[in-house]
Amino acid sequence: MASTRNRGKLAYKILFWFLLISLAPMIFVGWHLVGITQQSLRKETLAMQESLAVGFSDTTYKYVTTFRNVLTETAGLEDFVSMNPVKQQQYLNRILQIHFAVLELSVLNEKGVEALRIGRFLGNAPEMRDFRAEEVYTGAMGPRGQFIGRLERFQGLYPTVTISVPIMDQRVQPAKAVGVIVARVSLNGLSTMLAMEFPASGKSQAAVMTRDGFLIAHSDPREIYRPDARMPPEVEKVLTSQDNVKGGGEIGLEGGKRLLGAFSLIDKLDWIVYVQQPVEAAYQTAADMKAQIFRVLIWVVLFTVLLSLAVAGHITQPIRILKEAADRLGKGQFEDLPEVVTTNDEIGDLAQTFLGMSESLKEKTGELIHAKQELEKFTKFLEKRVDSRTRELKAAQDELIKKERLAAIGQMASVVGHEIRNPLAVINNSIYFIKTKLGTGGEPDAKITKHIKIIESEIQQANGIINEILTYSRQRELQLEKVRINDWLEELLSVYPFPAHIQVEKHFDPANPFVEIDKTEMQQAVRNLIGNGIEVMPAPKGGKVTIRSIIPEAGWVRVDIADAGSGIPQDVLDKIFAPFFTTKARGTGLGLAVVRKVVDHHKGKVDVESTVGVGTTFKLYIPTTA
Amino acid sequence: MAKLPKLLIIDDDAHLRESLAEVLELDGFECHQAGAAKEGIAAASKIDPDAVIMDIQLPDSSGFQICQELRKRSKITILIMMTGRFLSSEEKKQGFELGADEYITKPFDLAELSARIKQLLSRNAAKGQ
Repeated sequence: MASTRNRGKLAYKILFWFLLISLAPMIFVGWHLVGITQQSLRKETLAMQESLAVGFSDTTYKYVTTFRNVLTETAGLEDFVSMNPVKQQQYLNRILQIHFAVLELSVLNEKGVEALRIGRFLGNAPEMRDFRAEEVYTGAMGPRGQFIGRLERFQGLYPTVTISVPIMDQRVQPAKAVGVIVARVSLNGLSTMLAMEFPASGKSQAAVMTRDGFLIAHSDPREIYRPDARMPPEVEKVLTSQDNVKGGGEIGLEGGKRLLGAFSLIDKLDWIVYVQQPVEAAYQTAADMKAQIFRVLIWVVLFTVLLSLAVAGHITQPIRILKEAADRLGKGQFEDLPEVVTTNDEIGDLAQTFLGMSESLKEKTGELIHAKQELEKFTKFLEKRVDSRTRELKAAQDELIKKERLAAIGQMASVVGHEIRNPLAVINNSIYFIKTKLGTGGEPDAKITKHIKIIESEIQQANGIINEILTYSRQRELQLEKVRINDWLEELLSVYPFPAHIQVEKHFDPANPFVEIDKTEMQQAVRNLIGNGIEVMPAPKGGKVTIRSIIPEAGWVRVDIADAGSGIPQDVLDKIFAPFFTTKARGTGLGLAVVRKVVDHHKGKVDVESTVGVGTTFKLYIPTTA
Repeated sequence: MAKLPKLLIIDDDAHLRESLAEVLELDGFECHQAGAAKEGIAAASKIDPDAVIMDIQLPDSSGFQICQELRKRSKITILIMMTGRFLSSEEKKQGFELGADEYITKPFDLAELSARIKQLLSRNAAKGQ
């Protein structure tokens, strides 16, 4: 199956045409050759059979005439003419002794009556017959001077012929017939000769017969020694109807068998010599030739098939490779294509064209793929843009919501703050009044003093809370000032009321870049961070607050405010910048929210790093300016 | 006995005015009170105060609006504005242009306020001589 698929249909077409081209003339020529051969063989065979028949007719005639001559010679003898029966018997006995074929001898007197009769199988006193009216006598006595005929079967089996010649008395003029000498001769010798000439092992047979069908001799002994021996009726019919002296042709027997027969007429005896052989035997050579041609044909077919397969394979191989390559191309595989053979012919041209096409296809596909990739990239880019725009919008919206919310909170806080500040102010005034009054009247009660202090402290605290809320919710325009970061930090730290238990450490970047900040707001942010740092390191232990300025990358300065407090756990760390989130017992939770708001306001960012038990570092990123 | 400096306190919150007035009276000021802008202007015309302490937001008018009115009276030397909210720089600037001398945010440190008024008064007195 694999080889079938490998060769393809083209190979079989080529094979078919090769076979047709090579076999058709051969079959044609072979056919004709066999025909011609058969024709000539037929002629040749017929001619040969004819000559055999002619030859044998001659032999037969000679065979018969030998006996006639013996009779003629004997009849010419003086002793015989004298018609002395004793003498005659002596001669006749001698003939019987010499010629085994002679079965019987008689002498007829001039009247045609048997005067003497001897034979091999006759008794001592055989019957004397009268031949006056018979041809045996009249023929011999007639102008022909002889008689050869009267064919009979001796003992019903063996063909015999009767020959008679006149006994002429030469002593008188003209010579006068005084009697007739008659011999009955066995014709078995003819059959024996035929059998020797045409042996049973051969295919040919020969026969001698009379015109009326009496079978005289046959090469096959089984055919001749029979009471009813005759040739097959078809043969007999053909032979007895011939007018020619010799001839031949095909004879069809009953049962389909065909014979090639030839005949020759022994006109003096009016006998027919017939030679036959089966057509198959006659055409044996033609059949051999046919077989030979057939064998050659088979070889030619085999050779042609192999040759065509080889040639077809050779021709179709590059085409199949091309097809395979084209199939792969069709599947979009441009790499690892089968090696296309570029021969110096049309197939080579096709391969060249194919290679060109595949290159072009590859290029075009590459371009397509590239374009597709570009498109995908562009689509992705667009999607990203859309995403980012969406995010921006969302952020802007969130920002807006936040701002609105802050504005609302601010408004409310402002109102509430104002409204609470009034009573606070009143309380403050009143307690001041009381304190002053008490002070003028001597040393006041210690507990009263203590409680006045508590009230004052709480007023401060309440005021602080209001301040934080108002600061966080205040919507104000930035009032940017260009300052050197280190100088500004230095100024801020110099007035910050650090408690005694806190150490302050400063590490300022020598670059000391310029920043544009709203000093009030940024100060608030830094102060909140420092304040937080101080709060997580309470007295008496205290701790260290470290303030740093660093340039993390071009265009930015980072202000770190680090404490050595207890640190902030990670889960808390995420929420510390949210407004109102607090872990303190008292606090608005707005300190770090303010920090973030301020930093955001400055287009910076705030980061925090904390390790529990080590401390927390807040990092403010502020954009620098030239 | 030297004449006590006269203060006019204008605020719609009676408790605030009263408590402030009484505290400042302890510190040696002669305090007058008014609950609204109109009333305040009338009182100022009548009593001719040395200093005015007034709320920025009054029921009938903005404190800033009456600054000018009060300034027309040359005797009024000091104008202190009280506020319960944050003031923007713009507002503060406007206030200063209209004649305000000082801003204080409620609740305020009374000792500091008293000292500040006294300081401003003595400075003006020194200028006047």
